[in-house]
Amino acid sequence: MMRGACVVAAVTALALVACEPVVMAQDRAARTDSRPTKNPLDGNPQAVSNGAAMFRTRCAGCHGPDARGYLGPDLTGFWAAGGSDDRMFDIVKRGVPGTEMPAVDPQRVLDKDIWQVLAYVRTLSAVPAVPPRGDPANGERIFRATCSGCHIVNGRGGQLGPDLSRIGSARPRAGLLGKLRGSSGLIRAGYEPVTIVTRDGERVRGVKKNEDEFSIQIMDTRERLQGYLKANLTELTLEKQSLMPIYGADRLSEGDLDDLLQYLTGLRGSEAARR
Amino acid sequence: MRIGMLRVVAGILVAAATSWPLAAQQPAALRVTAADLRDGLKDPTRWLTYGGDYANHRHSPLTQITPANVHRLTAQWQFQTDTLGKFESTPLVLDGVIYVTGPLDTGWAIDARTGRQIWRYRRDLPGGLIACCGLVNRGFGVLGDRLFKTTLDAHVVAIRRKTGTVEWDTSMVDYKRGYSGTTAPLVVKDKVIVGVAGAEYGVRGFIDAYDAETGRQVWRFYTTAGPGDPGHNTWRGTDAKAWEHGGGSIWVPGAYDPELNLTYWGTGNAGPDYNGSEREGDNLYTASIVALDADTGALRWHYQFTPHDIWDYDSTQMPVLADLTLGGERRKVVLFANRNGFFYMLDRATGKLIRAKPFIETTWAKEIRADGRPMLLPNSVPSEEGTKVCPDQSGGTNWMPPSFHPELGLFFVTARESCGKFFTWKDDYNPGDGYRGGAVQRLEGQYSALRALDVATGERRWEFPYTTQSWAGVLSTASGLVFAGGSGNLMAFDAKTGKNLWHFQSGSSLYAGAITYMVDGRQYVLMPSGTTLTAFALAEF
Repeated sequence: MMRGACVVAAVTALALVACEPVVMAQDRAARTDSRPTKNPLDGNPQAVSNGAAMFRTRCAGCHGPDARGYLGPDLTGFWAAGGSDDRMFDIVKRGVPGTEMPAVDPQRVLDKDIWQVLAYVRTLSAVPAVPPRGDPANGERIFRATCSGCHIVNGRGGQLGPDLSRIGSARPRAGLLGKLRGSSGLIRAGYEPVTIVTRDGERVRGVKKNEDEFSIQIMDTRERLQGYLKANLTELTLEKQSLMPIYGADRLSEGDLDDLLQYLTGLRGSEAARR
Repeated sequence: MRIGMLRVVAGILVAAATSWPLAAQQPAALRVTAADLRDGLKDPTRWLTYGGDYANHRHSPLTQITPANVHRLTAQWQFQTDTLGKFESTPLVLDGVIYVTGPLDTGWAIDARTGRQIWRYRRDLPGGLIACCGLVNRGFGVLGDRLFKTTLDAHVVAIRRKTGTVEWDTSMVDYKRGYSGTTAPLVVKDKVIVGVAGAEYGVRGFIDAYDAETGRQVWRFYTTAGPGDPGHNTWRGTDAKAWEHGGGSIWVPGAYDPELNLTYWGTGNAGPDYNGSEREGDNLYTASIVALDADTGALRWHYQFTPHDIWDYDSTQMPVLADLTLGGERRKVVLFANRNGFFYMLDRATGKLIRAKPFIETTWAKEIRADGRPMLLPNSVPSEEGTKVCPDQSGGTNWMPPSFHPELGLFFVTARESCGKFFTWKDDYNPGDGYRGGAVQRLEGQYSALRALDVATGERRWEFPYTTQSWAGVLSTASGLVFAGGSGNLMAFDAKTGKNLWHFQSGSSLYAGAITYMVDGRQYVLMPSGTTLTAFALAEF
């Protein structure tokens, strides 16, 4: 129980609680034993209205204003695909490890709030359109030839770009498509492109790992990690365009794109990670 | 090592061989008196209150460390709490010993020369604590041989300064209803004056005074006006009990003017934070400053910075008292850099507004009118679709204390340029549950900076922008230095120009302000960052 309190505090990123016998209010909110399996507020007009505002505040940034997916997955097909209220509740409550989807802060979000959000999202429920096409085996071959220089999947690949081992849990197909075709301007923190010029005239290009008033830490395009004192630089340029090339139709055909997306959306972590 | 041990043995032998009482040969143990607290930093080797003195200047007369030699400032020791959490507290220093509170209701007495622990205090906290924004504490108060602190379960405790053991323990209110205690106490004469946090949970805020000897409650002032109180008619609308769960928490200590015998307190946001539809009216005395008689708690005057607050603009910033010559006339004023983005100057005898100017970009109000009320701007009310408002809910500044340099007439504040998208919905009040009525998305393009504001004009004299958002408090010294920081860097600046003169990367974010003290003729700067205290002094070479 005490250990559980520590874990809850750490997972919710409160990171404020010493792992000592302090039982937190979170436990109050973390009680799930008596939780209903069906949304008790389903169809409740006030709950739908409240949930809409809560969704816009806390969820729409990743899942899109219509819950059709942006950085995070499309939620509208969840129920049609056999998802249940309590499964969705658990996902919201606990987050999805290895992705940007956080667990809720129980000091700020009550169980009732989660049900209200679900009541709203349920009103957006839809049957998925045509199931996506593509050959994941060919997609993997394309990935190994084209992408793995910068991206790791399940332990293999380069490290200049983000690890994609769980990208299928973290991004919807449309978000990955936008990134490949260049319509998404998203750059994850830790991967912002930067160019510096040292006093010796050395020009270094890479991604920014950290920065403060006096220094900057970079992984350069050869994957060298290095820090630089700003006082020793003659130029420091933070760029808005990702280091990742844009794969237009001239570089990646529609068919290959489908295959690659089919492979990427299936990446849910290695067997070891899932265990 | 061996020599040291021999000396200890020899010392014991000498003591045993003499018949004089030991105490007669040593200086009398110090006891902090009410006069000591009034004197503030007159003895600058000490630091006896959160703000350094009752005026909260956080401005030390010490001059050993100067703009010319500050580059030689070197870490002397570090103290680590060995807990999670963070320091938001201001340490006290007396007679070569530091007294500091930490996260999770901990506290320590520490040798100011070496950083070695003398005693440790830790409260056995109950389950079910409710604290919105960190299990923090902002420091001890001191009087006589007692230290005082508020606790996360909404008690006030007196701790023996010499041993760290509890002397009295008084419950302010039932913490299970959403109350907690994080403010440092303001000790005035024989009273310990404190308040409660919890405006995100529908508490009814109050300021309490307790007898320092016994812990008995002497007076209480409620920060939401109940039936029969002046201002109760500022709580109107569909919720007849709105005042009962209307917020107005107190989590940063006030100031005290001994001549007027008034204490000054900034009060927290109205609740629910972002939905004012059921609490029409100004909602006194939330988001205000109240001037209370130190002996009785009677309200002498109030000024409301944000009438009918719907942006979580707590006014829980540290009030700063100053005596200024304005238009040839000597005025007793209170300076207040508010979370709502305006820098106020009020007459502290009457509460009348003298001047208010924005110190960051504000889009909820254009200006503060001569009658003291804000001129609201359109499209600034939180909505279901989200409304962009600047500053965001964390404000133009927050709990981090500013400093005031009287000779330069400069007020140094950690300022935040930030905008947020304010959403609202309906929350039902349920004791102990969150009661915000909305939430805020932070928008991109935020930054923070140390800003020097000229109190004569209210205008910005200089700024130093930080790379990341800073929550650091400020310290200034008579030698012309300002200590603040960001991104984990403790920094020293030239007070006149804002030029950065020195920095030290502490490895964790700064959520409190530095203090300075002197021991054995050596000036130290003590900086809390993360869960570490670092003491700096000039390198001796």
